[in-house]
Amino acid sequence: MRSTRRDFIKTVVALGGMASLNGLMPLISAAAESATSSATGMSVKSIKTTCCYCVNYCGISVKTVNGTIRGIYPDPARAAVFNRGICPMGSAGAFNAYNPYRLKVPLKRTNPNKGLNEDPRWVEISWEEAFSTIAARMNKIKKEDPAKVVWQTGHGQYLMNMNFMEAFFAAFGSPNVVGRASECIASRFVAEGLTWGNISCLPDLDHTNMLLNFGSNYFEADQWARWLDYNVTRARGRGMKVVVMDPRLSNSAGKADEWIPVRPGTDVVMILAMAKVMMDDGTIDIPFLNTYTNASNLVDEDGLIISSGEGDPLVWDSTSNSARPFTSDVTPTLTGTYTVEGKTARTAYQVFVDSLKDITPEYAEEVCDIPAATITRLAREFAKAARIGSTITLNGQKLRYRPAAVYTFRGVTAKEFGVQNWRSGLILEMLIGGIDAVGGVQTYKPMSKGAFFETSKCEYPPKRMDLAQSVYYPYSFLGVAQQMQRSMSDPEAYGLDYKPEMQFFYATNRSFSCAEPQKQFEALSKTFNVVIELFMSETAWYGDIVLPDITYLESWHLSQTRWTVGATHHAIRQPVTNAYNLPHDGFSIIWELAKRTGIRDRYIEQLNEKWGLKENKLETGRDYTAREVVEILWHSKTKKDFSYALEHAFLGNHKNTKERYLSGVESKFKGPGKSKMKFYADQLVTSMAKVQETVTKHEIKNIDLANHKLAMLPLPVREHAKPRGHQVDHMPFYLITYKVSYRYHSGANISLNPVLRSLGKDATENCILINRDTAIKMGIRDGTMLVVESRIGKVKGKASLTEGIRPDTVAVSNSYGQWSPGLPEHTHKGMWINQALESNSDVISGMESYNDTKCKVYKV
Amino acid sequence: MAKFARVIDTKSCMGCQSCVSACMVENHCTSGTLWNTMLEFESGKYPKTKKIFLTMGCMHCDKPACMAACKKVGANAISKKEDGAVLIDYNKCIGCRECEAVCPYGVPRYNEEVTPLYPGTKGTEYESISDKYRHSTHRKRANTAEKCTFCRHKIEQAEKDGKTDEIGDNPEYTPTCDVVCPVRARTFGDIDNPDSKVSKKLESKKAVQIKKEFGTGPQVHYLLEEGVELETYGRT
Repeated sequence: MRSTRRDFIKTVVALGGMASLNGLMPLISAAAESATSSATGMSVKSIKTTCCYCVNYCGISVKTVNGTIRGIYPDPARAAVFNRGICPMGSAGAFNAYNPYRLKVPLKRTNPNKGLNEDPRWVEISWEEAFSTIAARMNKIKKEDPAKVVWQTGHGQYLMNMNFMEAFFAAFGSPNVVGRASECIASRFVAEGLTWGNISCLPDLDHTNMLLNFGSNYFEADQWARWLDYNVTRARGRGMKVVVMDPRLSNSAGKADEWIPVRPGTDVVMILAMAKVMMDDGTIDIPFLNTYTNASNLVDEDGLIISSGEGDPLVWDSTSNSARPFTSDVTPTLTGTYTVEGKTARTAYQVFVDSLKDITPEYAEEVCDIPAATITRLAREFAKAARIGSTITLNGQKLRYRPAAVYTFRGVTAKEFGVQNWRSGLILEMLIGGIDAVGGVQTYKPMSKGAFFETSKCEYPPKRMDLAQSVYYPYSFLGVAQQMQRSMSDPEAYGLDYKPEMQFFYATNRSFSCAEPQKQFEALSKTFNVVIELFMSETAWYGDIVLPDITYLESWHLSQTRWTVGATHHAIRQPVTNAYNLPHDGFSIIWELAKRTGIRDRYIEQLNEKWGLKENKLETGRDYTAREVVEILWHSKTKKDFSYALEHAFLGNHKNTKERYLSGVESKFKGPGKSKMKFYADQLVTSMAKVQETVTKHEIKNIDLANHKLAMLPLPVREHAKPRGHQVDHMPFYLITYKVSYRYHSGANISLNPVLRSLGKDATENCILINRDTAIKMGIRDGTMLVVESRIGKVKGKASLTEGIRPDTVAVSNSYGQWSPGLPEHTHKGMWINQALESNSDVISGMESYNDTKCKVYKV
Repeated sequence: MAKFARVIDTKSCMGCQSCVSACMVENHCTSGTLWNTMLEFESGKYPKTKKIFLTMGCMHCDKPACMAACKKVGANAISKKEDGAVLIDYNKCIGCRECEAVCPYGVPRYNEEVTPLYPGTKGTEYESISDKYRHSTHRKRANTAEKCTFCRHKIEQAEKDGKTDEIGDNPEYTPTCDVVCPVRARTFGDIDNPDSKVSKKLESKKAVQIKKEFGTGPQVHYLLEEGVELETYGRT
């Protein structure tokens, strides 16, 4: 049956009516249920599982009535380790499954032309035809060059962990598995990786007394929102002061003790000025800087750390008055300029001090539009709150006590120089000695990813289409999502010696959610695209074959969980329903393709390796269901019987005091003879030298060396407050973006969810937030239709006047304005603001820039 | 006999709308007839601005204006239970909308037509749960007034299970809006029990009733954001 775009919507809904009788029973969990039956014949069950509607992974308890989802509630047992409640999306999760617009049968495109205005002329096909078509194409490409098959995953990595996809493609022979980190948190993670050798940190909110939040919006949509929201609120209840730096009065700022409406992009200068105040005042933790960090390492005039003949970094020993490696008989000096083997050397800290010579609060006032007195006051309050030098005894352990913490999420990182902006925050925390101290910033398993401390591979030619880990993005983490289609458009320009022929998109609407999305869609026309999705997304509209996926309420998985301070936990996801009797999910699709491309056993071996399975592992020579694999993984992680998982869906443990405070930086960095936390990111200096050498050697034309060099400085500088997107004189407004709690992303059919669409303001349509006084001067009222015009595009939308935004800034929330002709008209509301966002990715991490655009605003 | 009340801490409420979303699902609300809503407003001029979120369900007043109006028109569809809950009997409601007109809090919702959640479709599996398996407050009808019931079905379940002492603590017996709140801004329970959490909150004397001047005796109390006058809330 061939269907036009108009027919498509009607057909897909009609199929929903036929299919919504009952789920496929074998797929549905039977064990983890507490059933109550009554004389009425009503069977009520509660099933514990893990929400994956967004990236928080909250524990949920799903109530069913005669097999139908009746309500979703927070799992009270998870409160101690993660979520107390659930968000509006979690509450409305049933409609992720019951959406009648879900895809229900595989579709094949019959119109070879791809475009917004091209009708794909979908034809329904059998799963057999879909698999044989895909596998035949993969087998052909595999013989030529398996790298020409690319797999991209977004939110989908949570529907099915990255390990499965990476194992499959490792077996297949393609390096091209691209995650979504560069659209989310890459710069933050990379800054942390460069500083302590692993990603992630959280404030120690049980003890923090002052929290400086640079643009994290944990009261709306943030990656740890459902842990932070409760714990920030609780800490405020006992007196913790919260100061939020954000150009927009986010919900987090609106509920803080102080809102500091910093000029977009300039947080780094504010932080550096605060650091200068603290250093000038002498309110810094010198023993911490000397003992845990490389701040006392000697740096030569080229910016390199000076090492002994054995490769050990040298410090200036105040006892012997000489340059020596940090051994037990050496007392490092934090400041000063010295002569080492006839050459001038400064301590890394001194380099920082010298770089801040002119970064006064008054200078920062000019740049950030925050009064100098406020910056000075906050620096002193922060230093005072940190109680530098103090200790606290918890459960018999005497511990460093620094109850002052910095935090961010996308605020300072979803932008060019995002790594450097957040590095400045981490340096501020290092100055007070707050890393892994009680009440400070808790790290996650430092040095687990040691590659962050090494000079980057700076590959050239790049192996991967997204240029990850190449000379273009030396420390990118989990892929550079937005780069894929740019490379696709002109592979040779990036030194790629192959051009992909086939792209998979698994549960990602990536092309829609990047900045400058127009370029993304252009490139989609060049390949054979297989899209595995719940609904006809914009990306699916460009598919050649579209395979219906199943939701997190319908599938098995060893669910990821968000680590939290003081706790560890493992969780599973188990099916509650199968609303449309769909036979496949990402796991089984990959398994089928592994068989049909003859790599199943190699895939199994790779799975064992990726998951670290040794004794109870997957056996080659046989197939596995998702449930069977989840059972094996659960055993390997928890050593608990699977019946426990089916009943509780998670296992959590609290860390003891020693594990919580003494197993991180205390054990990895403290004292002589150990690696040191990177106050000074010297690996960026050596990596930049490699970039320079590579660019020269290969005569690479599309790398701006000056910009690379600025991005890859070992310490943050004032120029990191000047992203390229802001260097526009004729555009009077900064354009920033944000996310709301009921429209977290553009995938997983959120825009179709009738409950989320009913929540009132901003539920179906986003607006242009504009300062009330500014708007009145421009003759703009609430609801006035405006144009936001940047250098790359124009978007129209309604004005919303507010006292909660800077006069020189407009803000628009992401993930609205979906336009897929395969979605009903009523979802086509709001602004697709990404069309006006300039993409100037962060060089170090590859992070996309969502907050670096200037624009004009005028009435339609 | 218990008497139920709620305290909402607007200092903690972050406006996430989870209580609104969960209420809609729990109570089979249709689009446009939500029983719980989230009002958002700003306090102060830039840059001294605060955000206030005010979640509004039924106040379950001691002297409900809606009930008086309903009685006046002769429908007698609205009653007040001994435990304080104000309920609408859909079978008696004549759709006159008087209750909607007189409520100082704008609570009752008039359901003109019970429409599918996805416009133009036949309705989902969830919507197809038959009346047989629904509590009477969830058997939606056209031309009928509806509103928050303090999750009557859960209260009755607690009574049936002999666990009324767990109301306010056990999620099974506590209104869903209170259960899902991520920041624990909502407290529900028996104010006749001096040891209940809600009694303790009320004892602090900081919780206030909004629009008290209407004299209806609302049983939902609010802890106000510091520095924001009660009148500000009353203007909503």
